Amino acid sequence: MSQFTQQVILGLLLGGVYVAVALGFSLVWGILNIVNLAHGALVIVGAYITWDLFTRLHIDPFLSLPVDALALFVIGYALQRGVINRVIRAPLLFTFLLTFGINLVIVSLLLLLFTADFRSVTPSYSGSGLQLGSITIPYIRLGGLLVALVLAGVLWAILNRTRVGAAILAVGADRDAAQLVGVDLRHIYALTFAIGAAFAGVAGGIISTFQSITPTAGDPYTLQAFAVVILGGLGRVSATVAGGLAFGLIEVLGQSAPGLGSGYANAIAFVVLVMVLIVRPRGLLGRLA
Amino acid sequence: MTMRYIIRMRGEKLAPVLVGLAVLLAACGTSSPTTTTGSTLVFGAAVSLTGAQSKEGGLTKQGYDLWLDWINTRGGIVVNNVKHPVQIKYEDDQSNPNLSATLVQKLITDEKAQFILGPYGSAATATDAIIAEKNAIPMVEANGAAQAIFNKGYKYTFGVLSPANKYLTGVLDMAATLSPKPTTIAMLTANDNFSVEVAKAVEDYAPTVGMQVVFSKKYPAAAPDVSGLISQAKQANPDIVMNSGHLAESIAINKAAKQLGLNAKIFAYSVGPSTPDFISALGADANYVVDGSQWTPQVKYKPSFYLSVSDYVKAYKQKYSSSEPPDYHVAESTAACLAFQKAMENAGSLDPSKVRDALASLDVITFFGEIKFDSRGINTFKPMVVEQIQNGIHYTVFPSDVANGRPQYPTPPWSSR
Repeated sequence: MSQFTQQVILGLLLGGVYVAVALGFSLVWGILNIVNLAHGALVIVGAYITWDLFTRLHIDPFLSLPVDALALFVIGYALQRGVINRVIRAPLLFTFLLTFGINLVIVSLLLLLFTADFRSVTPSYSGSGLQLGSITIPYIRLGGLLVALVLAGVLWAILNRTRVGAAILAVGADRDAAQLVGVDLRHIYALTFAIGAAFAGVAGGIISTFQSITPTAGDPYTLQAFAVVILGGLGRVSATVAGGLAFGLIEVLGQSAPGLGSGYANAIAFVVLVMVLIVRPRGLLGRLA
Repeated sequence: MTMRYIIRMRGEKLAPVLVGLAVLLAACGTSSPTTTTGSTLVFGAAVSLTGAQSKEGGLTKQGYDLWLDWINTRGGIVVNNVKHPVQIKYEDDQSNPNLSATLVQKLITDEKAQFILGPYGSAATATDAIIAEKNAIPMVEANGAAQAIFNKGYKYTFGVLSPANKYLTGVLDMAATLSPKPTTIAMLTANDNFSVEVAKAVEDYAPTVGMQVVFSKKYPAAAPDVSGLISQAKQANPDIVMNSGHLAESIAINKAAKQLGLNAKIFAYSVGPSTPDFISALGADANYVVDGSQWTPQVKYKPSFYLSVSDYVKAYKQKYSSSEPPDYHVAESTAACLAFQKAMENAGSLDPSKVRDALASLDVITFFGEIKFDSRGINTFKPMVVEQIQNGIHYTVFPSDVANGRPQYPTPPWSSR
């Protein structure tokens, strides 16, 4: 029983990482209608910033998260305004091609800057954790989950409690109407993408603490983010949180499935995903409209 | 005549060629007037320079280039008293095994590669082997250890490295000599050909040395998170934790073991700990970890040609301005070139089928160990060594006749490190 509890906790902790990764992805997809295939690469840019600050200046990985956010915000804004904005109204396939290309460019740049060596952030407390009976909760992973939940709260507050957020939602609902009431479309597009990128950067910072990073380490996360958004439902912060936590749980419990199951943890997760979609085509908490 | 070769070479290759030219001219002027310079030999290699395996692919290329410089400094491979300078044409397979095969075919048809050096990884090697066979062009590979590659009856593919089933059994042999003797094993396995073979061999071999695999689980290759598996393995309370996977997973498993307090007497990972990355990524947490290695810079082989082990390490550090000695991926890649060189010299011919026959009957000692192929083309004659990270430095700890250190055992619990 305690083993099952331990697995559930680990699943939720992993889910926290997925929440962090998927928040920005979901925002960009929901508002701009862009499936950003470069999202994983942006995540890893954040991971490298955290790693760089940790190795060179010995800054705690959690303290460098705001730096990740800020740097990726700037990169995201420039990227959208300079490049992606040109295909904003083009068919989905064009945005696929463009973001796929951006992904390759970022990965190659990282390869040039940091080489393909495996990097890892290992602060002194990386091995300690909360011990509750036979259950262990690593501090680092717990920190990651908390940061993810804070991020979700921040995003919710931005969208629902600020004028900018209202503008972003308005653009997501109806671009032309938003423009008619005086929303600066190009700025809001870029801002939305920048916020998405900033969240990706923070997720990368978290990831660098429990996984080794290489320029290509972000690729699986694009796929995970995609699955999380589908599972939870597009366009709502709470849906992304639910989707992320659920996906983490499914993956970890899939690993502990008896028999040969563990090697197919990914397959199990995606089978569950398909089944959810059959029952609830708009995801767990997807909006009905 | 010689000018043509200089022009053919790319810029970066010019310096060694000039040195080679000087040696060549000197040689022509003095001793052996019978040795003439023949056509340039073109080798083709599709290695991973980008993508998930760009690190290992880069090491593979380093190994090839190290030999390339050496052989061209000497004017080339001597076949029937004719010196053939060597050129290696590279393609980047982007860590995609299917692309690798396409590129090898391109190297053969477009780039006129006469011989093939292997790619990185068992998956790519398996697809390249098909192309080599189809074109009847010999391929010597150094980075595909899965026996599945060799069980299809191919005649043109040879692997200089010890096969997958030997990777971790050496660790069990070592463990059997330790006191108190560890008896239980938790086996974690990435779900790919090579890793599954390594794990299978451990499960078959463990009972013969009085050990038992008490926990065995597979995980999807390149899984970013393994904490669920580690917490399950912890329940089994094993003496030995083994991972059969690759560098990224061995780092992730070591981290998760620390985070979740999985203590074992031995942590042994098939691939990863031998690379400098493992130590730089994990710092002090890398200590005590053991791995099965194809080769270490400390081994004591007496080579019959090319460089001695220490000269090889020296040459590597000089060429790549590295303070670290080469890891085994580099050494085995160089060894593949040596196998080709010796086979061509023995064959006295550049005819692909004659070189193939010479490879099949090759038996030489190199800095990498013995190179000799069984009927399938696998080098089953070279042993694996066991190395351990002690205070951030690699020590060869088993077998004792080639070792330069003693195993530190048992691994202290995480809480008291």
